[in-house]
Amino acid sequence: MKESQQNTTDFGYKTVARDEKASMVADVFHSVAAKYDIMNDLMSFGIHRLWKRQAIACSGVRKGHRVLDLAGGTGDLTAKFSQLVGDTGQVILGDINDSMLKVGRDKLRDLGLVNNIEYVQMNAEALPFPDNSIDVITIAFGLRNVTDKDAALKSMYRILKPGGRLLILEFSKTDSEALSKIYDFYSFNLLPSMGKLVANDSESYRYLAESIRMHPDQETLKDMMENAGFEQANYQNMTGGIVALHRGFKY
Amino acid sequence: MIKTLLVAAAERVLNGALNLDPHFAAPLKKVQHKVLAIEIRDWQQTFALTYTGQSFMLFNNFQEQSDCHISASIATLSELKEPSQLTRLIRQEKLDLEGDLHLAQTYSQSFSNLDIDWAEHLSEYLGDAGAQQLVQQIKHVITRTKKADSILSNTTQELCQDELKVTIHPLEMTQFKAHTRELKQHAAQLEQRINQLLAR
Repeated sequence: MKESQQNTTDFGYKTVARDEKASMVADVFHSVAAKYDIMNDLMSFGIHRLWKRQAIACSGVRKGHRVLDLAGGTGDLTAKFSQLVGDTGQVILGDINDSMLKVGRDKLRDLGLVNNIEYVQMNAEALPFPDNSIDVITIAFGLRNVTDKDAALKSMYRILKPGGRLLILEFSKTDSEALSKIYDFYSFNLLPSMGKLVANDSESYRYLAESIRMHPDQETLKDMMENAGFEQANYQNMTGGIVALHRGFKY
Repeated sequence: MIKTLLVAAAERVLNGALNLDPHFAAPLKKVQHKVLAIEIRDWQQTFALTYTGQSFMLFNNFQEQSDCHISASIATLSELKEPSQLTRLIRQEKLDLEGDLHLAQTYSQSFSNLDIDWAEHLSEYLGDAGAQQLVQQIKHVITRTKKADSILSNTTQELCQDELKVTIHPLEMTQFKAHTRELKQHAAQLEQRINQLLAR
């Protein structure tokens, strides 16, 4: 029984074999990549831009830093970091999904951001960087799709330089009952319909809503960060806890 | 989130100004990537402003290290348009400054030199004559509004001070403050005296 639990994981509300989750998540993002930005704006009413702004403000990224924007998708954070680190710094846009990377690369090139950005397809559970080599890691709306979150956090801790920090921007749990009901209705009724209408894909957006509910809450994620070795782990809730920004340091 | 939204809007305005006045950012090239933290005492908020060489970035809730940290009230910040005022404001304790003074002076100089040629930019849409006419009319309206505001303010002041006698003249206020200070000193002296007498 225990062995079978170890071999399975959640995929939204479904339970699937661990080694299948990555490819199933990949299918979801291959499917939504082209319409990812427009859907983000539609689904969050543009508020995702404010959540990301807050993450950048808390990142402490400065000129010359080496930044890893993990699960960076279409490069919203990378675009800002690229300007902040300047010519002497470097931003690595990492994603497990090559469709998302391609969309991100096209978008950033169109913005004229080419000098200091690298695009690397990578799995967050086994990051392809030496120990102590990155100043700041951000993972925005990506951690919930990772199969083994503990392994991913440990891998991030390993590659961070001493003094470096990790920022996790992710959907979380709201503590307001009224907001929670409205949010549930929106997520399970309106969101898949919007996905169907705009991206012709309701299943991917149903997975999005389900995966948010299966993601660890604020305190659990904080404990997971501490278990991975991060110090001074803390979080701030945004929009009533619908999204939380976790931050941890490596000393 | 509302604050973040307002800061995002302010950042957009700053970057708009960057496009409208090509000389605006020239002095900032020397200090690009340096972070100026501005603490507004009235709001108990710290904002961080940085110029990346391409655009401004403005953040609220800033808790990171900055190259220069200034703390002042809104009223004092508006006086910062003149870089030469910096040291005077610091001496008067209206402004606290930690870090690179040159960074604050450069930003101050850059903002004081901001000069947007509205007629030039509007001429793309309205034509040269139309844009010039519109800008002149707006300037005229602004001047008249300022004049009317000044007259109204003076009249209200005179009415309240001399006719209705519901407010006092600033000199009376200064005199009142001096009297209050004197009274406070007397009270403190008296308190000390009483304490001494009680101690015997």
